[in-house]
Amino acid sequence: MQVTTERGRSALGIGSLSDRAPIRHLDPVLLVTTFLLTLVGTFAIFSATHQVAAGADPWSFVKKQILAWVIAAVVLGAVAVVDYRLAKVYAPFLYAATLVLLLLVRTPLGTAAKGAQRGFYIAGFQFTPSEWTKVTVAIMLAAFLSELKTQDLSLRDLIRASVIALIPMVLVFIQPDIGTTIVLAAILGGIAVVAGAKTRHIAVLMAIGILLIALAFQVGLIKQYQIDRLTGFTGSGTTAATYNQKESEITVGSGGWSGTGYLHGTQTNLNFVPEQHTDFIFTVIGEEFGFVGAAVLLVLYALLLWRAIRIAALSKDRFGTYLAAGIASMFAIQMFVNIGMTVGIMPITGIPLPFVSYGGSSLVASYVAVGLLLNIHMRRLTVGAMG
Amino acid sequence: MTDGKSGARLKVLALLCAFMFAALGTRLWFVQVLAHGEAVSQVQRQATRTIDVPAPRGRILDRNGAVLARNRTSLVVTVNRQDLPAEPARKASEIRRLATVLHLSPGELRDRIDTKRYYEFTPVPVAFDVPKRTFFYLGEHRPDFPGVGIVQDSIRDYLQGSLAAPVLGYIGPFSPTEAADPRFAHYSQDDIVGKYGAELSYEHYLQGTKGQVVDQVDSSGRNLGPVPGASTPPVAGDDVYLTLDDAIEKLATESLEKGMKAARTFGLPANAGAVIVMDPNTGAILAMASNPTFDPNWFATGNNKEINKLFAPAPKGRACNSTGCASVNRATQAVYPPGSTFKPFIALSALENKYATLKSSIDCPATWAVPGVVPPDVKSNWDPVNSGFISLSKALAVSCDTVFYQLGWRAWKDWYHDGHREKVQRALQSFGFGRPTGLDLPSEDSGVIPDPKYKEIHYANDPVATDRNWQPGDFINMSIGQGDVAVTPLQVATAYSALANGGTVYRPHVLDKVVAAGGKTVLTARPHVDGHLPFSQRDLDYVRTALTGVVQGDGTAAQAFVNFPLSRIPVAGKTGTAEVNPFQPYSWFAAMAPANDPQYVVVALIEQGGHGSQSAAPVVRRVLDGLFGLPLTDPATGTAKD
Repeated sequence: MQVTTERGRSALGIGSLSDRAPIRHLDPVLLVTTFLLTLVGTFAIFSATHQVAAGADPWSFVKKQILAWVIAAVVLGAVAVVDYRLAKVYAPFLYAATLVLLLLVRTPLGTAAKGAQRGFYIAGFQFTPSEWTKVTVAIMLAAFLSELKTQDLSLRDLIRASVIALIPMVLVFIQPDIGTTIVLAAILGGIAVVAGAKTRHIAVLMAIGILLIALAFQVGLIKQYQIDRLTGFTGSGTTAATYNQKESEITVGSGGWSGTGYLHGTQTNLNFVPEQHTDFIFTVIGEEFGFVGAAVLLVLYALLLWRAIRIAALSKDRFGTYLAAGIASMFAIQMFVNIGMTVGIMPITGIPLPFVSYGGSSLVASYVAVGLLLNIHMRRLTVGAMG
Repeated sequence: MTDGKSGARLKVLALLCAFMFAALGTRLWFVQVLAHGEAVSQVQRQATRTIDVPAPRGRILDRNGAVLARNRTSLVVTVNRQDLPAEPARKASEIRRLATVLHLSPGELRDRIDTKRYYEFTPVPVAFDVPKRTFFYLGEHRPDFPGVGIVQDSIRDYLQGSLAAPVLGYIGPFSPTEAADPRFAHYSQDDIVGKYGAELSYEHYLQGTKGQVVDQVDSSGRNLGPVPGASTPPVAGDDVYLTLDDAIEKLATESLEKGMKAARTFGLPANAGAVIVMDPNTGAILAMASNPTFDPNWFATGNNKEINKLFAPAPKGRACNSTGCASVNRATQAVYPPGSTFKPFIALSALENKYATLKSSIDCPATWAVPGVVPPDVKSNWDPVNSGFISLSKALAVSCDTVFYQLGWRAWKDWYHDGHREKVQRALQSFGFGRPTGLDLPSEDSGVIPDPKYKEIHYANDPVATDRNWQPGDFINMSIGQGDVAVTPLQVATAYSALANGGTVYRPHVLDKVVAAGGKTVLTARPHVDGHLPFSQRDLDYVRTALTGVVQGDGTAAQAFVNFPLSRIPVAGKTGTAEVNPFQPYSWFAAMAPANDPQYVVVALIEQGGHGSQSAAPVVRRVLDGLFGLPLTDPATGTAKD
């Protein structure tokens, strides 16, 4: 848990010598992919939300999303400019701040929405700490593991890393936000694999995780609607629980090869899919652009993940590698669970589709993550000595 | 981090990502490409709502195009029983308030609501032809009347009330019985269907084809307007033209009523009756009246009080009182002993089997004893005087029972000695007795022509062994249309038609033609020959001519035909007086006119109307008056002759 700030500062000192050069080593593929995904998302959000009552603004969601996009772009720039190793230095602080925010959400300061206590309302925008938690946990885990002396991860260190992840996981889980809990677990798993955890240790970890979840069921921490949603995709749930599952699947299915055309989706226009602009945004793409459109979206994500893993490989320091691996894991699991749930191969959990789902916190957090990736990429040549 | 180990571990991560893409890609292929069709049909199903547009039911008209049944719009108040307040006190209060608004007693309204004619979940119409004011009042006070609906509905309208009711029939809501019937497979629960009479027989012409409006709806069921090109207009049901003649139907109905009234004035119960006018050359039914009867409008407007009365169980015994059993069409659904109306058929059978010849002279005493029976079984003629030896023709005119007893006895001897061949029964069956005539109206009775087998089955539990066996008395009783013989008035009309037209048994029918809404005739009824009588033309002519003696001279019905222009319009007929214990005699008369070239066969039956000459013959006389444009002679109960 302890990170020596001394080392962090010295690392920063070395890097800052050639700080003026990194912008020339930007990863244009990653940047363009990010922007394309956001653009697709903006179009999809418009399709999902432009059917409004007479007199209402059909652009209201898109406007908010574009505003979030602008903020996200600025934040991305800021994150990319400052050496990412600063994040390692401040990792304990970021981590602690995140825990405080997650606790504050539980207080009356937090707002409840749809049965969960998840965010704060600030100036008309909802600020959702769990979105940031994903990034800060990745930073904290990368910082902690990169400080270890050994190449292979001992069971002891793996448990310590797990505890780092477990504290926010529990806080998020009780909101309840099972989706983010899964993402945090995936980040932990991804970084642990890259940090050299033994396969059997990871297996034990997963077994413990499953036991904990079973325990949560037993003591009633998980609400019935969540169980219904989780089991709905097996076809065994109640009608209400399988409604989302069925509607999203037939919506995607009705797109066929090439889709119904933009703004021509029957299901989308007629509001048959709940939460379509957020968690079920993929159904818009599936219905209106068909298999071809869905495949294009998957290709964009593949590009994104390829660049993230490539950056992890290129990074000369372990922190950069672990952080990039954690971010890759984060995007991968979100994409997989989100799209998977709309086509019935994953249970329904409230996980947004990165860059595409409506929601400022998610978008800005994702851009921060991309900013970190760009940062690591830009400094791959200058941060050699630390290895 | 360029060491090989971490590179290998990143490959693991990359592999996991590759697995995710592979899983999503194959699943998307399945969902979007392979299962596409099913998804599209599900999407279409839930994104549209199909509303049936009822087709106007076809009309029912008479042969000349006079409308007998049509549709009209009516303001209707309905009650959906499932939406009434569950709490008894609140429910009672609502029914009380609604009753006040509808000017009904709460009990009456409750009766209408509690009908079993509708599904529990379909709204029950409780008031038809509601005044506009009431209609608007209920519309404005909707929240005060949960479950109460107001609709403008098309309802069946029988313009002439109860006229020809048993022929027209009635309609009713689609019921579970029909739901189980494959012929009603395409019907839905709120359909109105024919239940009886021509409404039922020609249901599939009258019903029409429902139209459909396909509306697009969103997830909350909001209507977003019709889907272009998906809606189909309804096709009105076909018009059904009957063989009935409106004017003749009225004539027959009135004549029956008047005849029954006259019999009652005379002191006879005359509780029920039937009249049939038939075209003997085609089998077309020109009129069919049954009394008592009902008003099919009761069914169209849900008059449960009358409907319940109509279907109330019959009083004990076979005769219904003046208000009971009105749902029974006495022309086709009730069976009676034919009495002496049977004698012409027995005579033909006797001529065929040589029990008598055209030249025979047969003794007609007041009584006649069955030969060889100890103690003597003495049977009487209706006329207590000895008429001496008479011809078969005369025996028909004066309806001499003792002559026909002897023919029955000869039939017995023939049966006994000639291999138990049921020659008389075969002859009677050739007229159509003992089986439904095949009339195109539902629920026709088949009647009974007894034979040894019938006795064996029917009297299986009878303690007296001889009652189970075929006896001389069975033939003797049959010869005067008694014993176990049972016929419907329609069978009698069909048989007399065959006699009238020279031997062709036409199947009686009420359908003339079916005309589609556009004016195209889709079906024309053609006369259907069910068989030919096995008798010689000479014998048929003989019997028909003999029957002209019934309405004149000392014939049994002469009194009823006083002043009838018989020289211009010869009439052949036969009286019948059927004994039905413990009731007063049932009065029959069957006529063919003009006798030399019959255009009409008229049959009348009056339950407990006395002798044939007393009430049935005057009814037929009045009908014949009307048919031939003569001044109508109102029935007056005459002398009791068979």
